Amino acid sequence: MANFIIRTAQPNDVCDILRLIKELAKFEEMEEQVILTEKDLLEDGFGDQPFYHCLVVDVPKEKQTSEGHTVIAFAMYYFTYDPWIGKLLYLEDFFVMPEFRGFGIGSEILKVLSETAVRTRCSSMHFIVAENNTKSIEFYKRRGAADLSSEEGWRLFAIDKEELLKMATK
Amino acid sequence: MNFTIRAATKVDCKDISRMIMELALFEKMTDQVKISSEELERDGFCPNPLFECLVAEVPKENKSKEGFTTVGYGLYFYTYSTWKGRSMYLEDLYVMPEFRGFGIGKGLLSTVAKVAKEKHCARLQLSVLDWNAPSRDFYATRGAQDLTVKEGWHLIRFDGQSLDDLGNDAQKK
Repeated sequence: MANFIIRTAQPNDVCDILRLIKELAKFEEMEEQVILTEKDLLEDGFGDQPFYHCLVVDVPKEKQTSEGHTVIAFAMYYFTYDPWIGKLLYLEDFFVMPEFRGFGIGSEILKVLSETAVRTRCSSMHFIVAENNTKSIEFYKRRGAADLSSEEGWRLFAIDKEELLKMATK
Repeated sequence: MNFTIRAATKVDCKDISRMIMELALFEKMTDQVKISSEELERDGFCPNPLFECLVAEVPKENKSKEGFTTVGYGLYFYTYSTWKGRSMYLEDLYVMPEFRGFGIGKGLLSTVAKVAKEKHCARLQLSVLDWNAPSRDFYATRGAQDLTVKEGWHLIRFDGQSLDDLGNDAQKK
């Protein structure tokens, strides 16, 4: 596929972004966990204080999906901070619809993200990968990535809303 | 021991920088600290700050051996979950060793949780080193789940040359 365009998401893309988020969640067998709405995506991504940034990928109309969609991939990221090295780019989600894989779209997205990271003076790009996804871990390691959980012993912890509320009211 | 927890201001950056180094020393990684107090000021107190910070203070009569009254900090920022929306990440939580055991760490964490609630965050995430059992226990007793153990998540990093190479790699195809 020669033609595809990677561009910054606009407010009117939130419908497609949510569709793709749900497709990725379905693939991970976690579709019911997506409680985000188009309204949330609009307020949180395109308001005064954006919580995320998003890239989307368009294909020409003649390549549209069976349901008529031309937005066929997305990558959501935001900026984080490491007090030792400063600004980082954190890649939250990255998905290309299955029928559009194998054309270099994923690689191009990663290229745009790494260019964005360098341009916005980020010293590093971070993301998480499930340890049983050995194919992805090897893919990233071959390109020079470090697995900080294995190499340095970092473990990711999460405290959910219920527990947060308990702590906030103490 | 009396203490107060408040939002950090620009002038706190020298103390925060000092404590960042102390925490790095505890984590045995001081050679990795490249950020100065001036850079903290630039990044945390600009129009679009990259982080927010709380500091814990004690009265002058309880100051540390070296004369410091700022004895703890919590540094956090906002993140986003494609499933749940707004989230928060607690990057650093630190209390100087001589001021532990008085509830300051718990106070910092509770204040972070209050901010998360005010900003409608669905979740607070953080990372702990696997050998740091006291910290793992501290968070576990407050309801934290170890997602690396439970779900197998590993944190991956691209930096420096590998980040540049990744950008160039796609062009070769």
